[in-house]
Amino acid sequence: MAKRNVLRVLSLLVAVSLVLAACGGGNSTKSESKTNNSAAGSETSDSGSNEQAEQPKEVSFTIGFATGDPATKQAIEDTIDAFSKAYPHIKVVNVSDSAAAASYLDWLKTKDAVGEFPDLVEMRDTKVFVDAGKLAELPEDLHGLFASLPQYNGKYYNAPITGTAPIGIIYSKKAYADAGITELPETYDEFLAIQEKLQQSGISPIVVGGKDIWHMGFWVNFFLINEIYAQDPDWNSKRNNGQVSFTDENVVRAISDYKELFRKYVDKGWLSTADNQTASFLVTGKAAQLYSGPWMFTQIQEADPNFEFGFYAIPEREGDVNIVGLPTLAGWAFSAEAARDPDKLEAMKTFIRFFFDPENYREYLKKVSGIPTTAADASYEAGEQMKEVFRLMADPNVTKSLMINNWYGENAIPPQFRNWFYKHLQELVATDGDVATYMKKADEQYDNDLKANQQ
Amino acid sequence: MHWHTKRKHPWKHYALWFILPSFVFYTAFVILPTVGSSYYSLTSWDGISSNIRFIGLENFREIWSSSRVHNAFYNTLLLAVVLVVLENIVALALAMIVDQVRWLSKLFRSIFYLPVLMSGIVMGFIWVILLNYNFGVVNQLLDLIGLSAWKRDWLGDPDFAMISIILSTVWKSAGYYMVIYLAGLQGIPKELLEAASIDGAGSWQRFRHVTFPLLAGAMTVCIILSMINALKIFDQIAVMTDGGPGFETETLTYIIYKVAFGELRQGFGTALGIVLFLIILIVSVIQVRVLRGREVEM
Repeated sequence: MAKRNVLRVLSLLVAVSLVLAACGGGNSTKSESKTNNSAAGSETSDSGSNEQAEQPKEVSFTIGFATGDPATKQAIEDTIDAFSKAYPHIKVVNVSDSAAAASYLDWLKTKDAVGEFPDLVEMRDTKVFVDAGKLAELPEDLHGLFASLPQYNGKYYNAPITGTAPIGIIYSKKAYADAGITELPETYDEFLAIQEKLQQSGISPIVVGGKDIWHMGFWVNFFLINEIYAQDPDWNSKRNNGQVSFTDENVVRAISDYKELFRKYVDKGWLSTADNQTASFLVTGKAAQLYSGPWMFTQIQEADPNFEFGFYAIPEREGDVNIVGLPTLAGWAFSAEAARDPDKLEAMKTFIRFFFDPENYREYLKKVSGIPTTAADASYEAGEQMKEVFRLMADPNVTKSLMINNWYGENAIPPQFRNWFYKHLQELVATDGDVATYMKKADEQYDNDLKANQQ
Repeated sequence: MHWHTKRKHPWKHYALWFILPSFVFYTAFVILPTVGSSYYSLTSWDGISSNIRFIGLENFREIWSSSRVHNAFYNTLLLAVVLVVLENIVALALAMIVDQVRWLSKLFRSIFYLPVLMSGIVMGFIWVILLNYNFGVVNQLLDLIGLSAWKRDWLGDPDFAMISIILSTVWKSAGYYMVIYLAGLQGIPKELLEAASIDGAGSWQRFRHVTFPLLAGAMTVCIILSMINALKIFDQIAVMTDGGPGFETETLTYIIYKVAFGELRQGFGTALGIVLFLIILIVSVIQVRVLRGREVEM
């Protein structure tokens, strides 16, 4: 009888402990930080007033950012390390992992679903998260740090990490020399002639990291900006109102040019090449050119410090140069929940001030080849390629624009459309489809997405 | 008699105590979310905001008319049929070979089972490297043996992406079903096979009339499991093709993930999840009915 009772009690304990063990795991970080805070609190309350003044209150906050670009990831992590040394009482918990590389929005949503939305977060889909009540306004005392701030519904939510960087051709000087190319193109047709020469010299003219869907945006938006947005920045708003269509002549021309370039001059394995492989394609001589942004400069230099490369923006058919360069609704943002905690809010503001302090910010910008956004001077010694970037941004004759999904306000597109559209265009090239038919499907999908978002 | 009755009765209570944790987990993490999902499938929830709007059957109407969903459904069916057939043929063949091998049979069994132990994600990454157009071993081998014309972007070519997914999945999973078939083969009495030999049956006839019918039980289990796994395939597609090129390898499970998490349409994704659940349920029930009917009772 006694043995039976002991067995019953043991069974019950095992059952209960199994249930509690499963439930307890996910809350460990939260409970740790609560323990840290409450321990700090009790330490503070137990100490005398003199000690309280000397020992700042310990506080921690989580930080999340996209880890797709290795240079940016390392630069942010370096800044976090430097901040932790400067402010040892503020613990910055980096919750970004490799899953934040491929699809940052997916990762953020997953984090939010499990209750781990970062306190300070690199935000790229500001509208969506503001509308969902997940973001707090950027504190007013931080506004003065920046030369200009993007607005959404008349309010500020983002501390822009870097200025919108132009996309351009990063080319191997050796490949150009071997193909007998001595002048950079002044029109798009001259650019195509260069591709022909490169191909005949035996090298893949262009490498594209098509495995990462966001990489498609570089080329797709080159054609869209040249044919659409440079002439009509309000095209998205007109499309939302049904006044224009993807089957219009200018859009079909843009996509036809895109298809022609990809079918003829892009490396055959583009659909299975990841963005982080493209630098090695260049430096190993497998491809002559990569169409990307200044954040690649550091990656390329690290892959091969002796590799000589140049950078230029591709002109359109008439010789005008149009680039990505307008400010976007992106940057560091404060989570609404974290902002309700005064200690966390203060800690995050301290981090932002540290991040954008000219001395620290300059180091960050050098590592990512970034364009400064601060009111204070954070300019840095730039290499040849970066000087060209700064020249393009400062040139009033170069039209600045945005990628299809970066427009906001009335010009915002359904957020789910971008990835679908890029995949659709991948399929267009892979199947040698008819552009007009594909653009008709794009219209249908766009209307479906608009309707779905209005529900 | 009295001892037998007295022995059975006390253990009933303990069995319940040990089932209890699994039952609690299953209810909390499977039953309740599934029931809860039915509600979200009737809303336009984006998965983030606290504002959840009821829209009735709109999501299901969109599923019915969406060409993207039809494409995913077609890909799922194609994968399911091909994977079930290939996995079971390869698994049965491997089981028969391992059953016949006299030396090192345990080594071969382990080798064939090894890919099963690998996570789908890791396996996917390995195959991505193997099949890479520029750096992959497969294309480099083709170069080496003078078959450069056969080189392909195996994961980027619409004609080969699905084949690559299928072959890598068969490579990974066949070992699992091989073990089940092996157990079935080893359960077949040798006397029956010997009697068939004595009666003049050749190896094919022995397989057709003795081995195959007696493997019905193992076959039912393997076909049902492989069908369910094929309908739920996700890891390989996520890592190897991202549903591409374009939408060429997008399946129902993958579209659920993309739509619910990447496109901020949790409600629509949930509705798709319910549709997939019903498909798996119906297919499994039909399979069990058909396959059980042909099982031979010993």
